[in-house]
Amino acid sequence: LLWKESWEMGKNPMASKGSPLHGPRIKLIEKAQSLFAETKEHTFESKAAEEHAKLLRIQHELEVSTKQAIFVDSSISDTIRTCIVLGNHRAAMRVKAEFKVSEKRWYWLKVFALATIRDWDALEKF
Amino acid sequence: MAQIPNLDNSPLNLKALRDQSQKELVNILRSIRGKKCLVIDKKLSGSISLVIQTSILVEHGVELRLLSPEPLQTECTKVVYLVHSNLNLMSFICSHIHSDVTKGLQREYHIYFVPHRGVDCEKILEEEKVHHLISIGEYPLYMIPMDEDVLSFELDYSNKECQVDGNTSSLWHIAKALHKLEFSFGVIPNVRAKGKASVRVADILNRMQAEEPVNLSDRSTLEINTLILIDREVDMVTPMCSQLTYEGLLDELLHINNGSVEVESAIMGVQQEGKKIKVPLNSSDKLFKEIRDLNFEVVVQVLRQKATAMKQDYTEMTTSDQSVSELKDFVRKLNSLPEMTRHINLAQHLSTFTSKQSFLGRLDMEHTIVEAQSYDICFEYIEESIHKQEPLVSVLRLLILLSVTNYGLPKKHFDYLRRELLHSYGFEHIALLNNLEKAGLLKKQETKSNWPTIKRALQLVVEDTDTANPNDIAYVFSGYAPLSIRLVQHAVRSGWRPIEEILKLLPGPHSETKRGGFSSSPSYDTLQGASAAVNKVADGRRSLVLIVFIGGVTFAEIAALRFLSAQESMAYDLIVATTKIISGNTLIETYMENMG
Repeated sequence: LLWKESWEMGKNPMASKGSPLHGPRIKLIEKAQSLFAETKEHTFESKAAEEHAKLLRIQHELEVSTKQAIFVDSSISDTIRTCIVLGNHRAAMRVKAEFKVSEKRWYWLKVFALATIRDWDALEKF
Repeated sequence: MAQIPNLDNSPLNLKALRDQSQKELVNILRSIRGKKCLVIDKKLSGSISLVIQTSILVEHGVELRLLSPEPLQTECTKVVYLVHSNLNLMSFICSHIHSDVTKGLQREYHIYFVPHRGVDCEKILEEEKVHHLISIGEYPLYMIPMDEDVLSFELDYSNKECQVDGNTSSLWHIAKALHKLEFSFGVIPNVRAKGKASVRVADILNRMQAEEPVNLSDRSTLEINTLILIDREVDMVTPMCSQLTYEGLLDELLHINNGSVEVESAIMGVQQEGKKIKVPLNSSDKLFKEIRDLNFEVVVQVLRQKATAMKQDYTEMTTSDQSVSELKDFVRKLNSLPEMTRHINLAQHLSTFTSKQSFLGRLDMEHTIVEAQSYDICFEYIEESIHKQEPLVSVLRLLILLSVTNYGLPKKHFDYLRRELLHSYGFEHIALLNNLEKAGLLKKQETKSNWPTIKRALQLVVEDTDTANPNDIAYVFSGYAPLSIRLVQHAVRSGWRPIEEILKLLPGPHSETKRGGFSSSPSYDTLQGASAAVNKVADGRRSLVLIVFIGGVTFAEIAALRFLSAQESMAYDLIVATTKIISGNTLIETYMENMG
């Protein structure tokens, strides 16, 4: 039952997709996380919820700093790619460190992103 | 209309079945006098188009509309809704009626539920205070002939509902449909079921027979000898593999919907910018009937041969004098030209996909996973696919294949891959992962895998498959014989008894029942190995085995069954019924939660 409750929580924010009110949404996800954390079996779900909330915060900041509403609701990998495509390597590194992205995945993302903007020089160097 | 399959060659009189559904619908329309607007829900319209021609509907004074949330635009004062009992659809109907009331329009409303009314739906109508304005009826359309030998119950979510939501209403629907079938074709004496849902259906069917018996004395011969019920749950390996028959591949790459595919007109060689063309695919098209179940490699060769032969005929025609009969012959051949061009175009389009390196690499990987010998290679391949952000569904297919054959993934990998999936594709997919876990498709490893034993005992991997002259069903996947069809093969030949040990390794219970006369209590004696001579119906036709797949079946599996049916040693004609024709993709898509 507890599980079901937190589940509904997790779903709620999805329903309000695209709404500019990120504050309540993040709070909901955090609540879901704490509900998940109350039982032992759902450590994975709890961790995922925690990361989701963190991601939304960072994405929100990025949108403010770049003045482009293209980050929220994309995945971690997509966020990193967007950062590199925009030439914002520092932000990309930050997201990478924040979510402990493995080197393997990082290389794929970087190669794809650099290829997208046809930055062959950077691709060569790296 | 070519989209409705011609059923004349069907081993079972499916045409009568369709005619009956048609008549029932016409009767409903007749009962409402004058012009009326028929509003059909989108999901149902495909099914209806396989049952009745639009022209017949128009003859009965019908204006056709698709159900949508927007207010209804029509001159008619009588509105007939033909819908599934689905709560969303009810809210559409309510909003229609409310909008009419505010506009001061007086209309007569009828709702016909397909196949039967739902209490929850009527409740909504009452709450919205429109119930008293509507007359409610039922249109008992339980199954739809998709082709000569394929019936569908059109229950898209049956597998997911049973596995995740614990909603088994679809099982009742299946049993009801089978019981209805028995009223037309006689009681089916032998029932063999494997899987939880299958055994349930068999039980419900027996109960229905007890409550409302089909009168045996009406018929001298029993048309259907054996009913085999198989749960999709028993074999989740097969749908996850890429289908390699022509029809299967069409479904994988272009998605066959209600017996036709939609393609860009450019592919079919028509110059019409951006327009889509519907290509009907059923056995009324003789060429398609010939090639649909062949391995795609062979299809290309067959088409080439036919084209060359045609060209040769043509040169002969232009170079020498011909007799009238030869001319006639030639013209007859020319008539098949449109079908030829159609399939050459489609095959060419498919080969742009199949010749890709990535496609071949994927096939290799599927085989490696099914072989179940090199776990690490498979794991790394999937990890890399996730990192490259390849389409989520196709990655999941491989992952499920690995998890099912390996009886789960080691805990470390399970959590790692789930995290990588969420990172790559977004956290919203956690619901999907959770559903897959609930259904046992993606899980932690708890016991050692029995897959190698099952694979060996049932000879699922066949070396040296000759796709051109196949001698085994393994040709449909170029070397992998679908588990589900192997089970059917055994069930038809000798019943469950000889493979009981293997059945116990697969999910769900199994049962074997003999039903006879008017006794409602099933006896559990062993069935004798069915001997061909006894079961032949007097007029030389072979008797029938009906195979029901609960949770869906793929075109490749149907192809394998047709292959079995065509074997000389086979004493029966096989007919397939399914909750829905599926591919790995459409199956996984039903597990996605609809959010937003």
